[in-house]
Amino acid sequence: MSRTRFRLAGATIALMLAAAAGCSGGEGVDVDGNDTAGAGGVLNAAIGGEPDQLDPHKTSAYYSFQVLENVFDTLVEPDANLEMKPSLATEWTTSEDQLTWTFTLREGVKFSDGSPLTAEDVVYSYNRIIDEKLNNAYKFGTVKSIEATDPKTVVVTLNAPTPNLLANLGGFKGVAIVQKANVESGEITTKPVGSGPFAVENYSSGDSIRLVRNDNYWGEKPKLDGVRYTFVSDPTVALQNLRGGEVHWTDNLPPQQVPALLDGDDPTVQSVPSTDYWYLALNQARKPYDDVNVRRAIAFALDREAITKAAKFGLATVNQTAIPQNSAFYYEYAPYTHDVNQAKQLLDQAGVNGLTMDLMVTNEYPETVTAAQVIASQLEAVGITVEIRTLDFAQWLDEQGAGKFDSFMLGWLGNIDPDEFYYAQHHSDGTFNFHEYANPNVDRLLDQARTETDQAARKQQYEQVAKQIVDDASYIYLYNPDVAQGWSKQVSGYEVRTDRAIRFRDVALAR
Amino acid sequence: MSEQTINHEGQLRRVLAALRRDPLALTGSLVLVVLVVVGVGGSWLAPSGINEVNVDQMLQPPSWAHPFGTDELGRDVLSRVMVAARVSLQVGLVSVGIALVVGATLGLFAGYYRGWLDNVLMRCMDVLFAFPVLLLAVAIVAVLGPGLVTAMVAIGVVYTPIFARVTRAGVLSVREQVFVRAAVSVGASDLRIMRRHVLPNIAAPLIVQTSLSLAFAILSEAALSFLGLGVQPPDPAWGRMLFDGRGFVTDAWWLGFFPGAAIFLTVLAFNLVGDALRDVLDPRQLTVSEARRSTA
Repeated sequence: MSRTRFRLAGATIALMLAAAAGCSGGEGVDVDGNDTAGAGGVLNAAIGGEPDQLDPHKTSAYYSFQVLENVFDTLVEPDANLEMKPSLATEWTTSEDQLTWTFTLREGVKFSDGSPLTAEDVVYSYNRIIDEKLNNAYKFGTVKSIEATDPKTVVVTLNAPTPNLLANLGGFKGVAIVQKANVESGEITTKPVGSGPFAVENYSSGDSIRLVRNDNYWGEKPKLDGVRYTFVSDPTVALQNLRGGEVHWTDNLPPQQVPALLDGDDPTVQSVPSTDYWYLALNQARKPYDDVNVRRAIAFALDREAITKAAKFGLATVNQTAIPQNSAFYYEYAPYTHDVNQAKQLLDQAGVNGLTMDLMVTNEYPETVTAAQVIASQLEAVGITVEIRTLDFAQWLDEQGAGKFDSFMLGWLGNIDPDEFYYAQHHSDGTFNFHEYANPNVDRLLDQARTETDQAARKQQYEQVAKQIVDDASYIYLYNPDVAQGWSKQVSGYEVRTDRAIRFRDVALAR
Repeated sequence: MSEQTINHEGQLRRVLAALRRDPLALTGSLVLVVLVVVGVGGSWLAPSGINEVNVDQMLQPPSWAHPFGTDELGRDVLSRVMVAARVSLQVGLVSVGIALVVGATLGLFAGYYRGWLDNVLMRCMDVLFAFPVLLLAVAIVAVLGPGLVTAMVAIGVVYTPIFARVTRAGVLSVREQVFVRAAVSVGASDLRIMRRHVLPNIAAPLIVQTSLSLAFAILSEAALSFLGLGVQPPDPAWGRMLFDGRGFVTDAWWLGFFPGAAIFLTVLAFNLVGDALRDVLDPRQLTVSEARRSTA
């Protein structure tokens, strides 16, 4: 269950340091005029579901990372433009051969329980992920060893040059620095100890998670006294709570109401393009989906505008490749126009008619259920009968892992580096290549680009990868959604991030 | 034999006359007739296809072109409500059919033979009866996987105990009647006695129970599909439509209103007819209404 959920959720979170970088504004409304304890207030945040656990290395749920983003730190972290900036590491150097990276840690960093955070903790955290083969072990695929040469210095030795090492080490809190004692006591699943701006005070299952300001935090102290997360699965209720004042912030807004909310000013609702993408995958281990013409026929049969409109009410951008327009790695390529005749012709060429296709979707992500119905009606027009199978997510993941599907729709959230967009999904050895795509050319390019240190050459390699994947219809990409979040007028200093990281460290609450 | 037949015809006439006299029952019956017509002919009568997605037409309020408006995918809500009637009827009939056949058979054997068989069967029924209806149905669907067929089976299982109880109660009194003893004394087999002499004499409460159970089976189906455990999209079902319309209550009331009204009218109609039937057939039968209340 963890893998895809992790994928989905995983890369979604990120950092702490942006305090310095992005959010310097944050004109905190200081009602009392002085900074006495209790003056900051507690922010009530409504999230769509409950974390499965709070161990950042083991959870794969976005709900967990919505909390953990504010509790943990990584060596580096993405700023508002998703460029990696210093966090626990203040600087780093790379050897001539690109195989040795030396990180210098920040002075005087402490965990929230007051114990010092040293290079040993970094080594322990990374080795835990690698040795226990946890969700994010693949991010350390090229790492040969990690050593602490002194309490302030971490040396990472690689098997091959890894140009996206910083994104791997800091892209989100799934690679956070944890405390050994906290892990060994087992408390990390409910009361994790991190070095971030807030600390978990209380996790009461089924009800709420309370964070308090971490007074040992190395950065600028948060203005809030704490954050209280509640779990509100119904977006209509979450919005009502936001309007009624029980909740100050939520990301669980009814999509159909977001366009109208964006025009209003109370509550404040902002939406930014995200780095997520949603796609349709066809199982190439099954006939006739092993035939590229069948896959291309389906790609031509889809009207992405209609799918996007139905699934996201316009809060998304149609894209035939994975990487969104706001990324430096965006590659403009859209060969599939909605063309029923072309689709029928390709199906004829493949000798396929009267095809019945199983399409697996999940209630966990209702937009897949909605989109599936649109996809079904569009494929009907080219003579393909779609049988929609709606499963709960655990079962969905089991079926996906076992390859028991003709097709499925899902999304990937919060990826940053192109390697994250393509390698695990489309390399023939990729851990998420459940649809069994195999193209030696793509394998070679992906392996090459992974270690290519010349940025221009690397970008070009990924463009070739993108083109080939789209031409082969390995994934049939649909859209990049926007991320919309809303908060009450009392809240200041909050910014919606494209990677969906939820950071409250610069937020102030007027009362 | 001939005497029995005449007797049944007389009873049928009596029932029809009573239904005619009772305006509520008449209304209920008319609604049911409309429901059956729509249920049987829904796909032909519906003005549009149920899966004609047209996102440019999404969330249109009711108009002449779409009397019930369009849903979030631009589909005609009227057509979907009509076609969903078939699902509701189908689930109601099949699941109550399962409950009736299985429940009545178990109740018949339990009541007729008494002894350890009675104890075993009825204690099993008690166990089933102890679960809240919907919880048990959800558990069964969780095991068998969601879908129309499993929903029917689940609801059928859930309503089996009540039929077993009603049947057994009737059998207990009938088996002591003189004509049953007479049949035994002339050497009729047990099966023949149950079929020829016991069953016809406990038919009335079973008919009433069937009619009332139909209402609750349809309601249960709506609840299951509301929870995503019944008919799977894109096929329409009232409960599912209600669920999908839930997020739109403030902007598109018609998404939830019409399927909700359909559920309401159908359940009400079955209840009105069931109540009237009970008054006519079995004025003293209290256990039915008690049992009905306990399943609600």
